[in-house]
Amino acid sequence: MLRFVVRRLIFAIPTLLAVMTMVFVLVRIVPGDPAQTILGDQASAEALQTMRERLGVDRPILEQYVEFMRGALVGDWGESMVTGKPVLTEIARVLPYTIELTVVSLIIGAVIGIPLGAWSALHRNEWIDYATRVGSLLGLSFPAFVSAILMLIVFSIQLRWLPVISGGNRATFGEWARSLALPALNLGLIMAAYITRVTRSSMLGSLGEDYIRTARAKGVPERVVIWRHGMRNALIPVVTVVGLYLGILIGNSVLTEIVFNRPGLGKLIVGALGQRDYTLLQGLMIIYTFVIVIVNLLTDLTYGLIDPRVKYQ
Amino acid sequence: MKHRMMTAGILLAGGLAVFAGTTDLALAGPDTNILNVGIAAPDAGRLDPHLSATTIDKAVFGWMFNGLVRLKPGTASPETVEPDLAESWETSADGLDWTFHLRQGVQCHHGYGELTSADIVYSLNRAADPNRSSFSGDFSVFDKVEAVDPYTVKIVLKNPVPSLLGLVTNYHGGNIVCMKAAEEMGEDFQKRPIGTGPFMYGEYKPQQSLMLVANPDYFRGKPELDGINYQYVPSDSARDLAFQSGELDMLYGKQDQTWVERTKQVEGAVVHVMEPAEMSVMSLNITSKPLDDIRVRQAIAMAVDRDQFMEFKGRDVTRVAKSVVPQGYLGYADMSELMPKHDVAGAKALLAEAGFPDGVTLKVIHTALPGMLGTMEVFQAQLAEAGIKLDLEVVEHATFHAQIRKDLSQIVHYSAARFPVADTYLTQFFHSGSIVGTPTGITNFSHCAVADKEIEAARVEQDPEAQKQLWKTAQEKIMAEVCGIPIYENLQIWATKTNLDLGYELIGSLSLGPPVTEKTHFIK
Repeated sequence: MLRFVVRRLIFAIPTLLAVMTMVFVLVRIVPGDPAQTILGDQASAEALQTMRERLGVDRPILEQYVEFMRGALVGDWGESMVTGKPVLTEIARVLPYTIELTVVSLIIGAVIGIPLGAWSALHRNEWIDYATRVGSLLGLSFPAFVSAILMLIVFSIQLRWLPVISGGNRATFGEWARSLALPALNLGLIMAAYITRVTRSSMLGSLGEDYIRTARAKGVPERVVIWRHGMRNALIPVVTVVGLYLGILIGNSVLTEIVFNRPGLGKLIVGALGQRDYTLLQGLMIIYTFVIVIVNLLTDLTYGLIDPRVKYQ
Repeated sequence: MKHRMMTAGILLAGGLAVFAGTTDLALAGPDTNILNVGIAAPDAGRLDPHLSATTIDKAVFGWMFNGLVRLKPGTASPETVEPDLAESWETSADGLDWTFHLRQGVQCHHGYGELTSADIVYSLNRAADPNRSSFSGDFSVFDKVEAVDPYTVKIVLKNPVPSLLGLVTNYHGGNIVCMKAAEEMGEDFQKRPIGTGPFMYGEYKPQQSLMLVANPDYFRGKPELDGINYQYVPSDSARDLAFQSGELDMLYGKQDQTWVERTKQVEGAVVHVMEPAEMSVMSLNITSKPLDDIRVRQAIAMAVDRDQFMEFKGRDVTRVAKSVVPQGYLGYADMSELMPKHDVAGAKALLAEAGFPDGVTLKVIHTALPGMLGTMEVFQAQLAEAGIKLDLEVVEHATFHAQIRKDLSQIVHYSAARFPVADTYLTQFFHSGSIVGTPTGITNFSHCAVADKEIEAARVEQDPEAQKQLWKTAQEKIMAEVCGIPIYENLQIWATKTNLDLGYELIGSLSLGPPVTEKTHFIK
């Protein structure tokens, strides 16, 4: 298995290199000028030129590329063009917030989605199934920022349970939980909608298999039939979907971070894009790519836990 | 199975209730004696007054720094200038030598010692250094700054300027930083900026807030507030809701009539509409065809219906523009007489006379920023009635800024506030030295050059009346040439809670945020 992991990581290197090159080129193709952002709109053309020289964006593109690649490989990701702070520091400061939001939402999504999907499958075409299907469809189609604002109106304005600006206070467990409650619930419900639907259809598939009929025929208790024989086999597609949608979750977290005013990678990337902060954008893209690669690897490894027949070679 | 599901549900609901039970104390309010301010931004920029020119950071600098002089708190007119770090000043007859006598005993924040003339010299030189300042251009007229004695500073100019006091106001490069701190920290100064103002740096939380604490040694007296919590809240809805729930006491507003009307309904809210105005001007590139024909430019001016813009933007937040310099700026002159009345038939006739009986088509690049785009769409519709078609390409904001500086748009819609002296507006938008694409280019998109002589003469004119007359002539010439069509002026919008007493009357603020002074306090 270790060999499998190492091999997968080695395969990830060309992906990372390709993404780095693409990001490097793309951010520079888009018109716009980091020097203008820094100096403001009253700056003269001369002042802008001086700033471009200082930032190094006036040099030949190939030279900048070589320097960027070399820097990225030895761990020197440069400094944010706009704030002047090291890119790695900027990212490291907000990365924990994004990770905790994603992980907690995922847990909420799984805790709600898997049992609900299974329950819905067991009661196929009964009212509970219809309700779940409609509910999950609603969850899928509801934009994250609308549900976020609705939650704020209900929990912060009407009920006054939670503050509107939750920020990212983490001094005590209570504060941490309060600041995370609404954003995680918002994303978690969207995630739950995805998971419910996949669990339901996958469960329907496995419940129709021969081995379920056999198990029932030989008198295995229904609880064991459903959870050990049915669920265990239905989980692989669920894990795949969870892995895939983790990327979507990160995308949705941008809006959630903005509305709930949480620090995070999403806010950083939107800001960097608007300001044409080339170095910061490059750093963020590498991190995103890396996260996706790792999540895919973890997804593959989870298959082995669920299904002993899966072998890593 | 069903039981398990229910247990999970109950646990989840219970968990939420637990957070909820302990939350009331988290809602900050006047009882903490901390002023909570909400600004529309995801994060701080560079927290160095000589580097950052954004609205987001400028308000903060206004609370932390002093200048040699300041505009009376709550005003944005250069005519209200009053002593700040300098108690008095005098100037030589030729306007080249300026001597400032400093207040004694002013302390730098966090124990960096007394502020003396050495700090002033250092700070002004720093502001004039292109490597450490974004405003170095403003100080190019400085010959030298010297410390005569610990409490006297002398500034020698290469040539007279329209407003030397404007340059040493607590604004942009005029904000005085403490030498010892700036030297010690170098590039890191922005991580812990040190000044002499009523509030000083406390704690910065990335993408969340900047906490300022009261400066107990402030020379005008210890502030009544304990601190300011400046919170970065990019979502418009979240900011409004937080103001409504009482988490924010002061709120950055939208330049939008419906926002103002809605916010006025919030219990205990006051909406402030303040100077300086940002003026929306349509600059016409007079070197491009067919705009090189003045009759076409006049036709465009005639096709504009300013009243309709007022209806569209809202009368509480905007006013009709009456010149190529915004109202309230020193040297502004009313040019209403030179603006043609709204007359579609007249516009068509002028176009026909210029040889375009079937109308003209113009290429326009515009930003996707909603507030600005709406204006351009109304403008487009008004012009269409007169047979002037705008081929509108909408691009993202940073792209817009890059492309209009390459002369790619025949009409440029620009909205800006400047230091409120006519010279800044006239120089940056209508002097030939500022034409985009040239090395000294700034924001002259029209390629206008008709008033260079007057603009330059006004800069060195020492007699205030003669100076105003020169500025007036410059405005007349630019209006007659139809280099730009002023449309409306947008005012700055903020909201505060009624239990907050700012301690002065708020008419305007150069830092674009309401000043928070030593007298600002909550009414119990």
